[in-house]
Amino acid sequence: MSIQEYNGGSVVAMVGKDCVAIACDLRLGNQATGIAMNFEKVFPVNDTLYYGLPGLATDVYTLREQLRFRVNMYRMKEEREITPETFTHLLSSTLYEKRFGPYFLEPVIAGIAPPTAANPNPQPYVSTLDSIGCITTPKDFAVAGTATDKLYGAAEGLWEPDLEPEDLFETISQTLLNAVDRDALSGWGAIVHVITKDKVITRTLRSRMD
Amino acid sequence: MSAPGGGGAYSFSLTTFSPSGKLVQIEHALAAVAGGTTSLGIKATNGIVLATEKKDTSALLDTTMIEKVATICPNIGFVYSGMGPDFRVLVAKARKIAQAYWKVYGEYPPTKVLVQEVAAVMQKATQSGGVRPYGISLLIAGWDAHRGQSLYQVDPSGSYWAWKASAIGKNMVNGKTFLEKRYNDDLSLEDAIHTALLTLKEGFEGQMTAETIEIGIVTVPTAEQQIAKSGERPPPTFRKLTEQEVRDYLSL
Amino acid sequence: MALFAASAQQEAVAAPIQHRFDPYEDNGGTILSIAGADFSVIAGDTRQSQGYNIQTRYARKVWQLTDKVVLATNGFAADGANFVKKVKQRLEWYENAHQKQMSIKSIARMIQTMLYAKRFFPYYVYNILGGIEEDGTGAVYSFDPVGSYEREACRAAGAAQSLIQPFLDNQIYFRNQTFPADQPKPIPGNLPLGTVLGLVIDSFTSATERHIEVGDGLEMYVVMAKGRAVDDLTSKGALPEGVVVEELGPLGEGGGERTFLVRRTLKRD
Repeated sequence: MSIQEYNGGSVVAMVGKDCVAIACDLRLGNQATGIAMNFEKVFPVNDTLYYGLPGLATDVYTLREQLRFRVNMYRMKEEREITPETFTHLLSSTLYEKRFGPYFLEPVIAGIAPPTAANPNPQPYVSTLDSIGCITTPKDFAVAGTATDKLYGAAEGLWEPDLEPEDLFETISQTLLNAVDRDALSGWGAIVHVITKDKVITRTLRSRMD
Repeated sequence: MSAPGGGGAYSFSLTTFSPSGKLVQIEHALAAVAGGTTSLGIKATNGIVLATEKKDTSALLDTTMIEKVATICPNIGFVYSGMGPDFRVLVAKARKIAQAYWKVYGEYPPTKVLVQEVAAVMQKATQSGGVRPYGISLLIAGWDAHRGQSLYQVDPSGSYWAWKASAIGKNMVNGKTFLEKRYNDDLSLEDAIHTALLTLKEGFEGQMTAETIEIGIVTVPTAEQQIAKSGERPPPTFRKLTEQEVRDYLSL
Repeated sequence: MALFAASAQQEAVAAPIQHRFDPYEDNGGTILSIAGADFSVIAGDTRQSQGYNIQTRYARKVWQLTDKVVLATNGFAADGANFVKKVKQRLEWYENAHQKQMSIKSIARMIQTMLYAKRFFPYYVYNILGGIEEDGTGAVYSFDPVGSYEREACRAAGAAQSLIQPFLDNQIYFRNQTFPADQPKPIPGNLPLGTVLGLVIDSFTSATERHIEVGDGLEMYVVMAKGRAVDDLTSKGALPEGVVVEELGPLGEGGGERTFLVRRTLKRD
């Protein structure tokens, strides 16, 4: 079994109308054995930017701390918050530093940049990277983790353009729950974050626990 | 034993303070700057102008090959007063810093970040063994989405300041006095270019022509230009004026 | 070349050459079946591939067996074609012996027997059987390659099973959906035909979008129970744009059930 699937877990992100959502399951496993049901895989960078790290759990901790360090340095040097686009590039170059001994993670990023004078109307942004930092920026949704193909099928069938925050919440929740229910390595509860320009709605979902 | 030049024993070791708290080598570096040709920068409401004079010591010199205003990255440019070779070394380092930033963040550095990194390079030359300080002052002009257009001066010590307008080099004092009189907060870029030419003309030795001066400008991109288009580079916000453009401004 | 030959020779001495008989192939594609209260839809795409190579853009995977039973096969195309041939032969013998067509329940059990008969050299085929039960209800039976089978309300199989099945769980079995207290959770297998065909089309267009082995064409067989009105299939405007309906005549004397073939194109990239 691949090392990317050693602990299990999945992340999905979706674009809506002036909002984005990102969600993950809560399972941490040791191959087929379930270990914990409170293992979050999505973390905030700031009020309008979140990222998810499905993959090898030990690398989740390492990369999260590495990114915390680099984003804090950026924040102090530049005296501003990092935008989703810039964070994606930062993460990409961080992953590529380990080109020949990669982190076994497939990050997903979701956010809306805060409005500035130069960019008064920032658009919702979702991106995903492979384990060595190759960037993809889909217009609709990004999926990653052990339930990738199930998430693709569910998202492709349920997602539609310009969803309002509440409808986007329902869509991403149904996509995630139905996908992880068919994946032995994902599930055991879920967390959803819906990011709008002025607030983040975070909800914990109950799901089947088998 | 005391060295010629007036610094006493402290003028040799770069990293030794004099009893009065000065690093004499830095004072000497500033003297090199003060002996250099005049350069100036003016920040306008919709851009920045950098200008400098190119001194031709001989009629036989091909002045088209002299470059005193340099593009560092598409949004930032340098001009200097002082020692030409030191400038070229710093330009090369600054360009490398800008590209390193681009490799990490996928965009070019904001002006302030580049200024800080270049200032750090210059500071290092005041505290390291076996080196001398850079014999130049820099005027750095750039545009970024965070702070808009900004103009900085960096000195051999590594000190830096943000200016609305500044002059460095031989005519620094006169130039600054002239700029203080001429500057106001709602100057347009066109006005600023003309003010720059007038300031340069004060104390210009010989004929001021398109061949004997150099100009670089920062422009503010339109809202439409700022929208990122996939597969396309954003248009540059710093550029050097061509000889023809300089000639046109001089003839007005 | 000489170098190569020498090294090859040495290798041959080091370890004896092993030959293995590997007669299986995966020809991609996906099949899907959904039961209604009084109809059944059995669908499959028409692409047949071998690795990254498309062998044909039109190969059938869905076969009409009797007036009320349709079989979809997926996996190794050669085994699928041969298996269908043998099933049809057994059905013909049955009809000759009993003067009637075999029921879907019996066909399902027969398929299990036929598959398990080759337990140690299996047909590399996933089968889905759809049609009308003796009591007039829509039915779906799904099989694994060695004959394990089950009656269900819906099933997807093949290359894009992992993409389609979670979507079906949600839309057919109403998994993870909650309903208000005054509205009981609907029983799966009772959706109207229009809704079911919509879900089948969405499933295949989604699978085509994300899976390289799915695409080109879509064939949906619709089996209608005896006496059921068919205007929700045949009337003008009942189906979405670009969908063509054709009625297939009865194979035998005809018991009143009607079978339609609904076709549509899928993306070819």
